[in-house]
Formats: sequence, C-alpha cells, structure tokens
Amino acid sequence: MNRSLVILLGALALAAAVFAGSYFTAQRATVMCCTKPADDLSWLRDEFHLSDTEMTRIRELHEGYLPQCAEMCAKIAAKKNELESILGGSTNLTAEAQSKLNEIAELRAQCQAQMLQHFVTVSQAMPPEQGRRYLAEMQQLTLGTNELMEQSMSGDTGHEPHH
Amino acid sequence: MRLANDHAGLRVGCIYEITASRAKSSTGLSRPGKNTKLRAADKVSAVLEPMKKEDINPADEKLGTLLRESRTFPALPPRFQQNVWRRIEDAEAPAKSESWLDALSALILRPRFALAAAAALVLAGSLFGALEGRQAVRHDAQMNYLASVAPHALR
Repeated sequence: MNRSLVILLGALALAAAVFAGSYFTAQRATVMCCTKPADDLSWLRDEFHLSDTEMTRIRELHEGYLPQCAEMCAKIAAKKNELESILGGSTNLTAEAQSKLNEIAELRAQCQAQMLQHFVTVSQAMPPEQGRRYLAEMQQLTLGTNELMEQSMSGDTGHEPHH
Repeated sequence: MRLANDHAGLRVGCIYEITASRAKSSTGLSRPGKNTKLRAADKVSAVLEPMKKEDINPADEKLGTLLRESRTFPALPPRFQQNVWRRIEDAEAPAKSESWLDALSALILRPRFALAAAAALVLAGSLFGALEGRQAVRHDAQMNYLASVAPHALR
C-alpha cells in the first residue's frame, strides 16, 4: 500500500481515538461533577434561574404536594391490584372488572387534575415569563406523554383479538 | 624525415589540444565523464597520442583523412548545457511530493502540525463532551423532578 495513504489512515485513526477519548472523558467528568441526585428540585433552579426566595416557596409547595400525590398513587395502585385479581380469575371482561377500570380512570383523572393544579401553583411562584415556560413544558411532558400512551393503547385495543 | 615526423607530431599535438579545448569550450563542463561526445573525443585523442610518438606517417593518405575527420565534432543538441545542469540540480535537490496525498502526509508528519492538531482535537472533544454531559445532567435532573411530581401511572 502507498506509504502516504498508510500515514494518512493512521493519522485519521489516531485523531478519532484522541477525539473520542477527550469526548467521553469530558462527558463523564461533567456528569459526575454536576449531578445532584439528592435534590429533585435542582432542575427547576437551574432551568428557570430561580432565586433562593422563589426556591423556598416552590419547595414548600412541592413538599405539600408530594403526600397528596402519594395518596392518590396509593389509591390507584390499590385499584389496579383489585383489577388484576378480578382479571386473573376470569377469561372475560366482567362487569366488576369494567367497574374497577372506571374507578381507576376516575382516580387518574383526579390525580392528573391535582398535578396540573400543582404545576399552575408552582408556575405562579416563578417570575411570569419563567412560569409560563414551566407550565408549557410540564404540560407537554405529562399530558403529551399521556396522549401518546392513550394513542398507543387505543391502537393495541384495536388489535387485541385474544380472549 | 625527422622534420616530417616532428611536424606530424606537432600536428597531432595541435589536434589533441584543439580537441581538448573544443570539448571544454563547447560544453563548459568540468566533468568529462558526463558527456558521451566528450568521451568519444577523448578516445580519439587517446588513440592518436601514442601515434604521435612512433607510428605516424604523414604520407599516409588514410591517416590524413582520419585526422581530418577527427577534427570535426557533431553539433550538440540545443540547450544542451542548460539541460545538463538542470538534470544535475534535479538529482541533487530533495525529493518533492508528487501528489496531494504525499503533501498531506508530509504535513501530518511535521511535529508542529501534529501537536496543533492533537491540541485542537482534545479541545474540541472536551468541549463537545462537556456539552453533551451537561445535556445529560439536565435531562436526568428533569426526569428526577418529573418522577417526583408526575408518577408514571399519570403519564
């Protein structure tokens, strides 16, 4: 093979190795130094440039909301367990199972409403512009994902011939 | 007879001198081995030199003809001298790169270029890596917050 071509290919390989090494080292170092696993609200502070006063208020709202959310989640989980036990013993969708599904849906709707109300309250504790951005992003992250899930679920229901 | 011999020796000596001087003046070279025509002239002179001492007969018509022929030199090709010097310079000059690939490989092998390229690659890699790491940290923090306020059952 041509000597110049060998030199060029070797240099390219070396350059790729140097670049990749620097890239992964820097990425790893950044992740290790900047991750704050203990605080769930660190993202809010960094993303929306919140002051200590605003963060204190938002932390109070957050800690007041978490028990309500946990309570709703526990209710949903209990209803899901009941539904599974009903579905586990039968091969048909009984009226009791349909009733449980409705209860779960109602609980989910209540929980979602509670969650959206929390987002609104938190957004009001932020500067107006940041609040609007926060609300839009949280709605997109929660309801947008929910819509996708519902669409996929509706697609699955349409193609579920097994009984 | 002695005079004739001396005269013949004188003529041959003149021919030899003329041959040498013409060879020098026509080429302008100080390296006689480089030119085949000069070598031919030298051979003729070398053949004639012993003859001037012993075996020259001025009456010999054939010898006279040969001597007359030996005086003639074929004309050198045009720009002969310049071409010789050019070939000498080309032979003594360092080897030049023949293609862009050779030029590029020669550039890569320069220590200064290699160091600069390595530094640029490390810098660019670190910069992109840090940006990507920052994005990953931001995404993880966002997911942490989202998991705390919006459990998967609601999303």
